[in-house]
Amino acid sequence: MREQLKADLLVSLKQKRRGFAKGWYKFSRNLLSVLGLVVLILIVLAALLAPYITPYPEHAKPYTNFKDGGKPPSLEHFFGTDRVGRDIFSRVIFGYRFSLTIGVVVLSLGVAPGVILGLIAGYHKGTWIETVIMRITDIFLAVPPLVLALAITAMLTPNLTNQMMAIALVWWPWYSRLVFALASSLRNEYFVREAELTGASKLHIMLKEILPNCLAPVMTKMTLDMGIVILLGATLSFIGLGVQPPKPGLGTMVAEGSKRLPGEWWGAIFPALAIVVVILAFNLVGDGLRDVFAVEEV
Amino acid sequence: MKQNMSPLLDVRDLSVGFKIFEGYLSVLNGVELTLGEGERVGLVGETGCGKTTTVKSILRVLPMPPARIAGGEIFYRGKDILKMKRREVQTLRRMELTAIFQDPLMSLNPVFTVGTQLRDIVKDSLGASGKKLTKKQITARCIEALKETGMPDPERIMSNYPIQLSGGMRQRVCIAEALSTTAQLLLADEPTTNLDVTIQDQILRKLDELVEEKNTSVLMITHSLGVVMDLTQRLYIMYAGTMVEEGQTEELFASPLHPYSQGLMKSVPKLTGEGVSDGIPGRIPNYLDPPAGCRFEPRCEHTMPVCRTEKPPLFNVENGRHVACFLYRS
Amino acid sequence: MTDTILVVDKLKKYFPTKRGTVKAVDNISFSVATGETIGLVGESGSGKTTTAQCVVGIYPPTDGEILFKGQTISEAFSKRSKALKRDIRIVFQDPGSSLNPKRSIKQILSVPLKVHRVATKKDHLTKIKSLLAMVELPPDEYMYKYPRAIGGGEKQMVAIARALATNPSLVLLDEPTSALDVSVQGKIINLLMKLQQDLNLTYLFITHDLSLMRNVASRVAIMYLGKLCEIAPTVEFFQNPTHPYTKMLLSAIPVVSQEEKALKPTKIASRGEIPSPVNVPPGCSFHSRCSEKMDMCAKDDPVMVEIGEGHVTRCHLFAEAKTTATIA
Repeated sequence: MREQLKADLLVSLKQKRRGFAKGWYKFSRNLLSVLGLVVLILIVLAALLAPYITPYPEHAKPYTNFKDGGKPPSLEHFFGTDRVGRDIFSRVIFGYRFSLTIGVVVLSLGVAPGVILGLIAGYHKGTWIETVIMRITDIFLAVPPLVLALAITAMLTPNLTNQMMAIALVWWPWYSRLVFALASSLRNEYFVREAELTGASKLHIMLKEILPNCLAPVMTKMTLDMGIVILLGATLSFIGLGVQPPKPGLGTMVAEGSKRLPGEWWGAIFPALAIVVVILAFNLVGDGLRDVFAVEEV
Repeated sequence: MKQNMSPLLDVRDLSVGFKIFEGYLSVLNGVELTLGEGERVGLVGETGCGKTTTVKSILRVLPMPPARIAGGEIFYRGKDILKMKRREVQTLRRMELTAIFQDPLMSLNPVFTVGTQLRDIVKDSLGASGKKLTKKQITARCIEALKETGMPDPERIMSNYPIQLSGGMRQRVCIAEALSTTAQLLLADEPTTNLDVTIQDQILRKLDELVEEKNTSVLMITHSLGVVMDLTQRLYIMYAGTMVEEGQTEELFASPLHPYSQGLMKSVPKLTGEGVSDGIPGRIPNYLDPPAGCRFEPRCEHTMPVCRTEKPPLFNVENGRHVACFLYRS
Repeated sequence: MTDTILVVDKLKKYFPTKRGTVKAVDNISFSVATGETIGLVGESGSGKTTTAQCVVGIYPPTDGEILFKGQTISEAFSKRSKALKRDIRIVFQDPGSSLNPKRSIKQILSVPLKVHRVATKKDHLTKIKSLLAMVELPPDEYMYKYPRAIGGGEKQMVAIARALATNPSLVLLDEPTSALDVSVQGKIINLLMKLQQDLNLTYLFITHDLSLMRNVASRVAIMYLGKLCEIAPTVEFFQNPTHPYTKMLLSAIPVVSQEEKALKPTKIASRGEIPSPVNVPPGCSFHSRCSEKMDMCAKDDPVMVEIGEGHVTRCHLFAEAKTTATIA
């Protein structure tokens, strides 16, 4: 029995490795996606190693040095310094930490419930279960995401954690809807009908038969969503309801820097560009992923 | 029996492959096919033998990466289709070639009525050959075309959408579209596979009548032997990217020579009720790594050493019968 | 005297739609003996697939009864016992979509084993291997493969292995080889026949391919627009067809040899389109296409009469024959 499990595992690992190699082949045919992936990897590494690679890591903490304030970009300060004298480049790298954290946490919190609810609703299409779940989904979707996130954060104390929870609450219905569409059409496939006729439990059918066929679109969407979530987080911070100063959230920095426009433009432009770059990278990778998952016809 | 004049369509030593992740799929391996004017030729082969790839090559609709023409020519009235420029190919498709495919629902645009689509085609082809037609004339011609296919109530059908019609009726629309052009060559790729038996019967008989009348040349591609028996004069049998046998339809059916053709004929369940044969053992070759010699060799009972190393050409057996098998090397 | 394993009695299945009621199955009755292969033949809209779906439980009948081994099974699927789900199994037409593309063959085959506790978890593997061996697929090679890596014929064999995993008594085969090439078909059919012998299975075999039916079924039933037209033992069915639709269908079969051509009934040119099941013609539903139509055919629906040993037909041309047949 144990040998059998080992044999099972070996075969499945081999298959996964081959599948990965094939996926990489498809992904790498798209140069832009590869570029996006490289940029993304760099950003993630930079964010992880921020305290070690930035020239002025202490500037991410409360720090003032008015003597150095307002200096334009130079070799000492790649992105210049802000009013208070902090190196913007270092703060942007630290700012990526917040952005990436928001993205990861929100999606972790929001995707799972959305997928599960969509799965249940899709499988029970035509019953009251579907109606209840999808109408709740519709209600959440009817409110513009920013407004909803604003409302929730405003009710609670503005900080990173609450900001993340708010966005997660805004995000899950999109996954619910996506998986609902997938599950309700998969439900009519012969192999699902077969499982039902065999007498398999609903749980088995939903988790083992339908769900695996939904994963590809969900993963593509998650990658593309990272960018939008980061943007939403930055927007909340910009308004003052997210990452609070003096913490170096990217949106927060744009807000502070924008008071100095157009004269000391580097305070707002570089953090904004940083946001653009990370979103673009995620989008490019997401596009590439879509190609990877596309079924090829020969 | 070959035509005395040069053939309408002459596919010579066509080799086509596809580049995919796992490697290179060498699908068509020296395909040879000729079609004379007014001739009705069948192309029989099973799934994966390359018949659709051949049709697509003739129509030049293969997606060029990943597909690659590895060699050969396709002559239409003496000109090589593969070397034509895009403009020429488009004119060719519009004026000379026409096709009917397996799934009429895919061939017909779901958001336009039958009338709109038919009018488009009639207007396009007749207009281009110099005649200027009025709207009324075009519509009349369309209704005429539908009537010719045996469509009941053609006037009403003109304003229907494809989704409102049954499978048989949709295929009749496709046939009307195909035959109301000036095209001389009809490529029919499994036109009745999805249809009910009684409807298939009607449609094939109608098609027979129509091509007879217009003297259209037909290349009928199918995996169903029964369909080609009545409709074609000459027949090619295709396996794994090559033609393995060719001959007059009746003769071929009566005495198939190539081991694959023999196996195929035996596999068809007969009305005489003698039970079902086990079919042909083995599988079609892996196009990533096909056999170097005869591609049927791994499944053949009569294999000889030469079969493994050399690809058998189409040997001339007698009056127009060709078999790609070393058993018949004269 | 073999037992009757399945009795279908005045079965009706109607589907209400916006355009009208689709009378998919409209009052059909027949019975199946243990160990036989009853063939169900028909074109689009005939109701043959819906009949099978009612038997296997996908739809509860609108009216009428289905008796399996003497017990009524015509209630909704959710009320069916697990034992019943084990005992009646179905193989679908399209092997491409009857196997989950994201699951390996081992996982696919373990589902019925798990649900019906056919074998303990430890023995799952042995049982799966023996199932694959039974359908002549080398177990070690195929267990870990995914459906996309194997051919149509092999997929169908996996589907058959899956159906037989629970040791059923009745297997419904809905066009099991229609999507496959003819050179692969034979192997599967012969396998099915052999398994039928070995495991004493009863088959309800649906196909539109009459040449295949001739070699597979012991009795043939032909349906048109939800009603049964004729039922007869196979040889009788092909040699002595009585119903005009049977004759039309038989004369339309494409055949490959002269001797077969001689066996077909004289060519009855098929005419007309098959009406939609929402708009069934009044009287005998076939009268709009029948070449031997009489006046009464447009008004009265004929009843099934017995005209020979085990041979029943539903046509006014034979109305003078014996008394109304009870379930054949």
